[in-house]
Amino acid sequence: MNLLIPLMVIVPILCALFLNLLHKKDRTIKTIAIILALLLPALPLLANYGLHYFGGYAPLIENPTLSNNLPSLITGTALNTFHPAITYSFQSAQKIFVFILGLVGLLAIFTSLYETRRPSGVYGYMMFMGIAAVTAILLTDDIFNLYVFFEIAALATVGIVLVSNVKGNYETALKYMILGGIAAPLFLLGIALILGVTGNVNISDIIYSLQNGLVDPKNPVLLMACGLIVFGWLYGSGLPPFHTIKSAIYSKALPSGAALIQTFSVFIFIALGIIILRIFSYLPFSQWVILGASLLAMILGITMAIVQTDIKRMIGFLAVGELGYIGIGLGLGTAFGITAGLFQAVNEVIITAFLFIGFGTVLYQTRVSDTRKLGGMLQRNPLVAFLVLIAGFAMAGVPPLNAFQSKLMLIQASITAGFPELGVIMILLSIVTFMTFMKAFHAVFLRPKPVDLELKNEDIPKATIITLLVFLVVCIIIGLFPQVVTSYLQPLATSLAGGIV
Amino acid sequence: MVIDVQITSLFTAVALIIIGIFAAAFLDNLIKKIIGLAFIGDGVNLFLIAMGYKPGGIVYIYLPGMAAEWFSQNAAYPLPFAMVLTSIVIGASTMAVMLGIIIVLYKKRGSLSAKEILGE
Repeated sequence: MNLLIPLMVIVPILCALFLNLLHKKDRTIKTIAIILALLLPALPLLANYGLHYFGGYAPLIENPTLSNNLPSLITGTALNTFHPAITYSFQSAQKIFVFILGLVGLLAIFTSLYETRRPSGVYGYMMFMGIAAVTAILLTDDIFNLYVFFEIAALATVGIVLVSNVKGNYETALKYMILGGIAAPLFLLGIALILGVTGNVNISDIIYSLQNGLVDPKNPVLLMACGLIVFGWLYGSGLPPFHTIKSAIYSKALPSGAALIQTFSVFIFIALGIIILRIFSYLPFSQWVILGASLLAMILGITMAIVQTDIKRMIGFLAVGELGYIGIGLGLGTAFGITAGLFQAVNEVIITAFLFIGFGTVLYQTRVSDTRKLGGMLQRNPLVAFLVLIAGFAMAGVPPLNAFQSKLMLIQASITAGFPELGVIMILLSIVTFMTFMKAFHAVFLRPKPVDLELKNEDIPKATIITLLVFLVVCIIIGLFPQVVTSYLQPLATSLAGGIV
Repeated sequence: MVIDVQITSLFTAVALIIIGIFAAAFLDNLIKKIIGLAFIGDGVNLFLIAMGYKPGGIVYIYLPGMAAEWFSQNAAYPLPFAMVLTSIVIGASTMAVMLGIIIVLYKKRGSLSAKEILGE
């Protein structure tokens, strides 16, 4: 048993609790938070692949000494193979996802500590707690455990917004929670219906029951469960009709918080998307639901980004649009398409965080996020302007940056899967993304500085510049060597496409 | 006339969920909205409990002297109850955060109207 697997969740929870205890001890928080955050990307790199059974309760089939003493009523049936404990599965795809989550988490925490004069232990608590919850969502093979961490991630998201002290943050947080108060119990109802039909909450066992005739897959209750889980998926990841509230949530957080919250959304999107594909792949419309929701997110997200005048709101809508690309890859259902979708997820997380923190420097200096009131920032910070420009190029899919590789793969996958129209839409929307970004870039950096624009902070913290440079290096490395990431994603994509789950 | 406890509970759960969604979506007072959300959560919890109900069943605790086969046939399935316990805890924490936010907003705005505060 590999103990590092549960530690990937336990360590950030302990870090969160520890930082909360140190609230108001500014210097101590700064040092300890950085040291603890270094563990986030390190743990997945050190851990070996495998399964972790909480309490050590492996399926009976793996424990002959225990099963020998049990009646054949248990050992002679499917109960012999079922998982009695909450199971965490750590494979190559999880390794890259948890590593990227840890890396973005580390950089977001690092930036936040130097951008705020008095680092808040509560803010650190929320960030670590959210990272722990999303890590658990990525690792767990138990759908109820996923629901629990789904709720914790939502609470951490709200916490990050509440602590951010941005005007209107309380109103937006409450709106998000009210919508969550409807969506999350309905998601739980979906899980309850699955439990009612299959008697299980372990995803592998649910699939075993469906594939081996223990349960009738055509049971209409399962259709309803699928609908409710899809509803939870739309809320958790900010797909339409929740795209406006999600982008509002991004805009009411500090840039470092927004970078982290969008990472949560992307990983919740793929974790739930994978579960929908695994459990309901036998339903002919499941692929169409994913494709439809993704296409809508892509079109609505990117077109709504054009008209935004608030920088963070614009990036938020672009992030929603980029989710659509990931969903298209998953919805195509081919191994190549799913690999491309998952690869796009990794790239989107990095690029959107890059953009949030990059544009965040302007907010740090001016305390203004309205593009109509900004300008002339190129003269102030040519290096930051260059880095933000690269981030925008990366999001639009300009070679040789990372999203170019994933978007090219997505277009190739859509053509080979028999959906060339999707490829055309993706190219057109990439052009619109580029235009939207350039409009904002021009307004903030290239246009002459408005007379009434005052600088509240002269210098950008070195930590922020270091963070942006790290993102730049990651974008270039993945862009030049995409196989560094895709090789980790291919086994999962192949098993999902082949129905071997 | 004998009323089936399980069916009645399931119908009550559905009614609670529908009333809750109506309250959360259409009522203007924020506290009433939150009560509606509590109804939805309670409805789902009742649904889970009703699913785990076994007529004449016993608690899932294996006591000395019980025959294994008799126990496996008569004990109620404990998983839904464990899930409900967790769900109640999550619901309570979410509710606490929402009420906390409402207190802050009420102090700032002096109103509990969703139309006024959230612009709905």
